[in-house]
Amino acid sequence: MSLALPDLHEARLPNGATVVVARRPGVPLAAARLFVRAGSALDPRGRLGLAHLVSAVARRGAGRRSGESIDALVESLGADLGGDAEEDATVFGLSAPVDVLSRLLGVLVDVVASPAFPHAEFERLRRRELASLAHDSDEPGTLADRAIVSSAYGDHPYGHAVEGRARDLSRMRRPDALAFHRRWYGPERATLVVVGPMDPEVAMEDARPRLERWRNALSESPAEVPAPAPSARRVVVVNKPDATQTQVRIADVAIPRSSPDYFPAVVANAVLGGGFTSRLVEAIRVNRGLSYGVRSRFGMSRAGGLFTFSSFTKNETAGDLVEVALDEMRRFCEMGPTAEEVNRAASYLGGLFPLSLETHEQWAERLCDVRILGYGLEQVLEYRERVRAVTAEEVTSVARRHLPVDRGVVLAVGPAKGLAPQLERFGPVSVVSAHSVL
Amino acid sequence: MPIAVEPKILDLERVVARTLPNGLRVRLYPDSLVPTVSYYTFFRVGSRNERPGLTGISHLFEHMMFNGSQRYGPKEFDRILEANGGTSNAYTSNDVTVYYDDFAAEALPTVIDLESDRVRSLRLDEETLEQERAVVKEERRLRTDNSTFGLMEEQLEGLVYQAHPYRWPVIGWMDDIDRIAREDCLSYFRTYYAPSNAALYVAGDIDPEVAMRQIEEAYGDIPQGPAVPPVPAGEPEQRGERRAEVRYPAQAAAVVVGFRGPPACHPDAAALDVLQACLAVGEGSRLRRRLVQQEVAVSASIGWAWRIDPGVFMLFLELAPGASRKRAEEALFRELDRVATRGVQKGEVERARRLLRSSVLHELATRSGVAHALGQAELLLGDWRHATKALEQYREVGPPDVRRVAEAYLAPRSRNVVWLEPESSP
Repeated sequence: MSLALPDLHEARLPNGATVVVARRPGVPLAAARLFVRAGSALDPRGRLGLAHLVSAVARRGAGRRSGESIDALVESLGADLGGDAEEDATVFGLSAPVDVLSRLLGVLVDVVASPAFPHAEFERLRRRELASLAHDSDEPGTLADRAIVSSAYGDHPYGHAVEGRARDLSRMRRPDALAFHRRWYGPERATLVVVGPMDPEVAMEDARPRLERWRNALSESPAEVPAPAPSARRVVVVNKPDATQTQVRIADVAIPRSSPDYFPAVVANAVLGGGFTSRLVEAIRVNRGLSYGVRSRFGMSRAGGLFTFSSFTKNETAGDLVEVALDEMRRFCEMGPTAEEVNRAASYLGGLFPLSLETHEQWAERLCDVRILGYGLEQVLEYRERVRAVTAEEVTSVARRHLPVDRGVVLAVGPAKGLAPQLERFGPVSVVSAHSVL
Repeated sequence: MPIAVEPKILDLERVVARTLPNGLRVRLYPDSLVPTVSYYTFFRVGSRNERPGLTGISHLFEHMMFNGSQRYGPKEFDRILEANGGTSNAYTSNDVTVYYDDFAAEALPTVIDLESDRVRSLRLDEETLEQERAVVKEERRLRTDNSTFGLMEEQLEGLVYQAHPYRWPVIGWMDDIDRIAREDCLSYFRTYYAPSNAALYVAGDIDPEVAMRQIEEAYGDIPQGPAVPPVPAGEPEQRGERRAEVRYPAQAAAVVVGFRGPPACHPDAAALDVLQACLAVGEGSRLRRRLVQQEVAVSASIGWAWRIDPGVFMLFLELAPGASRKRAEEALFRELDRVATRGVQKGEVERARRLLRSSVLHELATRSGVAHALGQAELLLGDWRHATKALEQYREVGPPDVRRVAEAYLAPRSRNVVWLEPESSP
């Protein structure tokens, strides 16, 4: 059974902006998203984290409104408005009771099209981001997630956490934000998506004049982000001398979302490390009790996402955990999945897929994603059939080409003294401080 | 402008409710918007029902429920569910243990079979107990021992409660996790996992009459359980501030401040929701404006979860490295005092109500959220029909109520304070 598409209305405005309105039944809350194709991959060298900071400060004053008056208007109507950068885009979201949507769409557009970047607010949020990084470094899992991105991508434009680097944040000034916005935020790179139980024509008419007033003809288009390259096997230990548990990641560059390998990769991951019955969960949690949480995923982005294995275990068994994970991946590549596993994964993925499109928010996100990541909406509608069509051979082939069995980074966050000797059998070890990851 | 009455936010008329002769309560909510079903089982048992020496058994036992029963061997539960387009999980809280499955609608008979079988005839062998014990110890290391917030929260609950079982953590003390034996689990299962202590909430693409018949057939002959032992719910009055500190190699300081609130069934619980929204929901809330925007703290948030017995109203501030702790603490206490003495504006209460309404709508936007809301209402308020009662209560809350609950519950003499003190690694 294919999924039903909401009642979709799409328009391209004279200034190049796109508006998509989707009507569907459900709770009386509308979800709007306005994205600009300018994400953390466009962070300038020495200013890593700028796209993220721009998205935060944009909310603090735009059009004729101060940040405080935006807060007051949005929240007094029971709504929520905010933005954040991803690798390939910056997405601003508005969730509002459907009866006040028309009063707030203009604020959403203003925040994206004409932010004021008040000096005091820029400086305050920059300091807050720096302080938040300090708190992040107290959470070993967060630290591991940050560190694996830079370790696996290296110098690539995706090779830093969206939140940026502390030393770069220290250097950023308001003119950096103004310049980033002027250079990359323009109507021809923007799309507004509105989903909810409202009259689509009314929503379209509310959105259109406000977006049409946006004039910022961009003088250049950014080059497409190049495909990232896989890396040779190495081990990185982020030293947290007091931790009693080690966070482990194993990752390497895999596929872009638009790859023809996408559906085989989704099925491969479901068998290997997706659900509760996946091989990695069985081997690590069920059979050995090494960890509470085990998972793997193919991260999706426009130019190339990471395959990442994530887990954690007490310090003494970190080496065992890595060995079991790599052995399972190797066995999966050599033998491939059984027909029963592929079948079960297809049922599992197909059965649950409608749950990922249950709310207006989820639909709004998906309608943005197809545009940001560059794939067809038919892949959403035919999801069940596509996963069902994947064969065991395709899964094996994807696994052999994209799992980091003998390459990529093995990363551990924990006490280096005990970890380095356990992990040196997997590759050359470098030890870095937690501070250096920030 | 008052918010108009909205009976259709959740159409409770649709619910088909029945209590089987063995005491199992069944509530079905048909909704065919999406071809999936959410299936919740609530067992009325949590860390509240435990005793010292066996803390954490509710949570450890939750893990054991996935390890096989009479007709399905170990690991088969999830395998069959996944093969039918489903997934399952569970959580344990102070008050309740909840199991939930989301799956493609056609798998309902299979899920009823799987779920009823494990209530009827759970297998509990030594080997799986040892495995799950190791897994749970990793979970504790993750959430508490290596988490600054986890360490602080554990200390706070120990301060807020001196007698009530809420004083120990849901995951249990490490020593107790090590001590729990198979016999403890067997006795626990017999007492707390009987149909008379359980309720099913099923929402989604179902025919309620067919589903009810299938449930009655599957669960009907499971014997009713014994009476559940009463919980020692008493707690001496707090007559002065209590403090603790957590020394840890952290980058920056943080503080949690907790107060004992009312039980969920008390009308003041909803007024505290409104107070929470006035103080810490959204950028325009008082603590965000006066503490975060003034750079006294990096973040400010409040946790206030309704519980069967009086729960904790918990404020949490993170500070910038090197920031003054004294200044942050004074500023926070000043804000609490200001609400208690001078109250809040009408506009703030209206704003809070609308934000709360949106948050209820978000919860009810999924079948899973609906099933869970029905279960929570029955657990905490005594009736699933109260699933949207909070919305009515919020309409009744005015500025004087907000001031009153701030004064009554957040007084300095009832305060419990835990500081995270950064220290360098040894």
